[in-house]
Amino acid sequence: MREIAIVAYKCTKCGRIHYPFHDRCLVCKGREFETIKPQGNARLLTFTRIYNLPWGFDQRYLTIGVAEFENGVRAMGQINVDEDFLLTSGMAMKASWEPVRIQAGENVYGLVYSPES
Amino acid sequence: MEINQHARDVAVIGAGMIPFGRRDEDSLMDMLAYASLKAMDDAGLGDKSVDAVYVGNMGAGILQHQTGIASSLVDRLSLLPAAAETVENGPASGASAVKNGLLAVASGYYDYVLVVGGEKMREVTGWRATDFVATMTHPQAEYIYGVTLPGMAGMFTRLYMEKYGVTREHLITVALKNQEMGALNPYAHVEMALSREGIFDSPHAVVNNPPVADPLHLYDACPVSDGAAALVLCPLETARKLNKPPVLIAGFGQATDTQTLQERDDPTDLKAVTLAAQQAFEMAKLKPGDIHVAELHDAFTILEIAESEHVGFFKKGEGGKAALAGKTRFGGQIPINVSGGLKARGHPVGATGVAQVVDIVFQLRHELPKNRQVKNAENGLTVNFGGFGNNVLAFVLRRVEK
Repeated sequence: MREIAIVAYKCTKCGRIHYPFHDRCLVCKGREFETIKPQGNARLLTFTRIYNLPWGFDQRYLTIGVAEFENGVRAMGQINVDEDFLLTSGMAMKASWEPVRIQAGENVYGLVYSPES
Repeated sequence: MEINQHARDVAVIGAGMIPFGRRDEDSLMDMLAYASLKAMDDAGLGDKSVDAVYVGNMGAGILQHQTGIASSLVDRLSLLPAAAETVENGPASGASAVKNGLLAVASGYYDYVLVVGGEKMREVTGWRATDFVATMTHPQAEYIYGVTLPGMAGMFTRLYMEKYGVTREHLITVALKNQEMGALNPYAHVEMALSREGIFDSPHAVVNNPPVADPLHLYDACPVSDGAAALVLCPLETARKLNKPPVLIAGFGQATDTQTLQERDDPTDLKAVTLAAQQAFEMAKLKPGDIHVAELHDAFTILEIAESEHVGFFKKGEGGKAALAGKTRFGGQIPINVSGGLKARGHPVGATGVAQVVDIVFQLRHELPKNRQVKNAENGLTVNFGGFGNNVLAFVLRRVEK
């Protein structure tokens, strides 16, 4: 299994966690950050199932959500569940790093969440 | 935010738009030119020129493979040597163009400014148009996953429902209301009223109104449209000498928020909407309760409800109930989107912010037919919502008696 390649940024001055990157802290405007990785399982904050997909996705639907990891990193990802699976906000998810789309014939990797069984 | 005490008051003296919809026969430049001429004729400019032109457009570079839109338009309209710029600010490009025109006249640098907004989105497939709009999301943190603007709105709606108890009934109420008004508007993309049974609580609704990004369904979303709208601005003192009642741009506000929804402490809090509206009200020295008619950016039904709360018409969590109680209908406490809004008038992204001001100008000049004219309307509000709430502009407009 591939390592999750997301890097989040913790402000060394005030501790605010950022993902994606900002040149200055959203809270204190500090410019120094400690890089951190998402850790542990994630809790699903919100989600949707999209049926009108953009160019590049030749499939019937796509389930997407935002989850928060145990160390506070929040990130969007695709959710790997069947259409009839009942997702709920707050559900525990495990994360993996998998192909999320193909661009110019190459796999693009990203976060994929699955319900923690 | 205080405006410079030396700034001039700026009025709208010309307003025009072309019917939104699918306009296969017209190029983007055709649409921009038609709307411009309507606004210039409405202003009574005749053969006169303008000093500057600002064109709101989000995607000609992607959709038409054409850049330098404003330069092309001044040439097409023989407005040379007027200054000209294209303004791109996502779905708020139109309002940003109006803002640029406002500041240019207020500063004293230009006297007559033409502001145009336009977009031709139906030239490409829905698949491509959806991708085009999604290019405003964060490239690595959002776009790669295939998220769309309806998808962002779906996630926002779920949060809003869970926090504030908004229901599909509330959303449907907004859709029915705006489609009903759109059916009366000859400029609307979808001139068709809907029935509740057709889209909500009948077996037909399952087919007619499928989910697009759950919990949002097809009729919770605006159509993808072609269209253009235009305004002519000048100093209020000049406008007072003209025949039509001037409409003063009494207040303006703009604010930004994080690009991604996930980085907001409370993703249901549309801070940029609140701040933009507050700035506009402060500048106009008016309160939400002073507004008689509003055009809010209802790209999705949930946004009309959320914005009606964030601009201060209703308390947080009360917008859906207010819609259900008829408070936002034509004839209600605060009529919202009497034009049909983005939901029915359509959403050619670069045109929308200009079209909202055009619609309010028509209202404040008391020019609309009785079935759409808010009686004695004197103050109006517009909100143009860029990104997913990460760049929002608001205008307060006021009728000035001569």
